[in-house]
Amino acid sequence: MSKEKVFILALETSCDETSASVVVDGREILSNVISSQVPVHRKFGGVVPEIASRKHIENVIPVVDKALSIAGVTLQEVTAVGVTYGPGLVGALLVGIAAAKALAFAVQKPLIGVNHLEGHIFANFLAYRELEPPFLALVVSGGHTSLVHVKEYNQFQLLGQTRDDAAGEAFDKVARVMGLPYPGGPQIDKLALLGNPTAIHFPRALSTPGSHEFSFSGLKSAVLNHLNHAAQHKEEANHADVAASFQAAVVEVLVAKTLEAAQECCVDKIVVSGGVAANSCLQSTLSQQAVNAGYSVYFPPPVLCTDNAAMIASRAYYKYLSGFTADLHLNAVPGLKLQ
Amino acid sequence: MPVLALETSTLVSSVALVIEESLVAEITLQTKLTHSERLMPHISTILEMADMTPKEISAVAVSIGPGSFTGLRIGLSTAKALAYALQIPVIGVPTLNALAYGCSLPGIYLSPMLDAQKGNVYQAVFEQTKAGLQQIKDTRVIACSTALEELAALNRPVAVLGEGAILYRREIAAFGENLILPPQHLVIPRAGSVGFLGQQMLAQGVRHDVMTMEPLYIRRSEAEVLWEKRQGTQS
Ligand SMILES: [Zn+2]
Repeated sequence: MSKEKVFILALETSCDETSASVVVDGREILSNVISSQVPVHRKFGGVVPEIASRKHIENVIPVVDKALSIAGVTLQEVTAVGVTYGPGLVGALLVGIAAAKALAFAVQKPLIGVNHLEGHIFANFLAYRELEPPFLALVVSGGHTSLVHVKEYNQFQLLGQTRDDAAGEAFDKVARVMGLPYPGGPQIDKLALLGNPTAIHFPRALSTPGSHEFSFSGLKSAVLNHLNHAAQHKEEANHADVAASFQAAVVEVLVAKTLEAAQECCVDKIVVSGGVAANSCLQSTLSQQAVNAGYSVYFPPPVLCTDNAAMIASRAYYKYLSGFTADLHLNAVPGLKLQ
Repeated sequence: MPVLALETSTLVSSVALVIEESLVAEITLQTKLTHSERLMPHISTILEMADMTPKEISAVAVSIGPGSFTGLRIGLSTAKALAYALQIPVIGVPTLNALAYGCSLPGIYLSPMLDAQKGNVYQAVFEQTKAGLQQIKDTRVIACSTALEELAALNRPVAVLGEGAILYRREIAAFGENLILPPQHLVIPRAGSVGFLGQQMLAQGVRHDVMTMEPLYIRRSEAEVLWEKRQGTQS
């Protein structure tokens, strides 16, 4: 007798993407519909929470409908409904949670609350079918910079995270000051290719061995000071050099701490995820150094680096297998921590 | 034709089930829990109390605003997802109309008011006639004091309704002889009123699109207003 397939419908509305997806057995994406709000927030230079919430309520049912129809699955055929319940913007999370609860209730299917950070890690299970825990995960995005020891599918240990800005946040702020459009991460990545990464030495915070914590606000300030200083002296700062040197400082810290943590956890795999995982300098530097040190390294494809519901569905599947369902009281937890 | 009704536009959380002329059940709460925690459990409870399954609901009526932006979105997201999943109509009932309907005495004006922050209210004026509820003044954002001046100048008694009537009860009592403050249980938003008005709208052929339906915010987001001001001063 063959095992029945598990179809998870998941919703993700924690920040500025409204997304719904259908995933089979936690690994196979049938659909992953993402309605991006980036163009809406661009004129404000960043995500405006109230506007994000307004876009989510407009988009939530259309993305669910599209995800089901692309997947060729009816709501009745779905095994369970997963949804991000934190961390994220509270008003944005609430739209997805309310919809997911109502969908699950209407068809009398289990509801599963998913931690967004865990979702990012699980994006790699969708990209690499053979990947299994244990491994070390680096989650690096506009909202997070965290090192996590993934021991089993439902067992995580947070080794350290940023004390202040997330790495992606530093990218966005530096880009903004250089007059680059939002979101700035990919812009800096492009500009850095034209610059000299050793032109300016920016500080590397908390780089003493043994610390798994990050800090990027000092680095961000140093870059802003450098740009202001040049402006005051009527000099033309070389933006390509600044971008390359800034990026080099971020990547150096991320790579060094990741390798050190991997060694401490005695794992042989390193899994990177989150928006900054798409950064070309991080990909090439970490891949090279990690492979030299004997690790296998996994980066998800770009579409799974950004916020998406497929990664939430994958995480929901493994919670479903272990019976971790939520009831109808499920609420948004904007500051949700890793379990 | 059982209609499930939701009202989450203010701190009051209310869910009701109406069938034809009858209010079968209503759960109305003013406690500290959030709409997010209460709404779905109450929907589940009310159906259980009425011995019904979700499949037996024939339409969902939801209070669409104005009111608290987050509250409205929780109600609307829930209503849309239920209607979509159960493949039944969804009807957005204007919150102030439902408030007026809940206390619809003939011969007087009805003025629902909801808090719009910083001394402002969302406000409108209605009148109950033989033909039904007539809207005399469109729903708008207005300084509470200005609204009260306007109401005091009317030549008829005016019942002030909604959370504004509770929040500004002292000002209202001091304002004019013709302003009436009905007891609290008659002035708070209740899902039963949303259900009955929703039923009427359905009978009139009103249908809202589950895909595109949005809350009735009345107000744009603050970020947008500021952005436009900045553009204005730059050009
Ligand atoms: Zn994210």
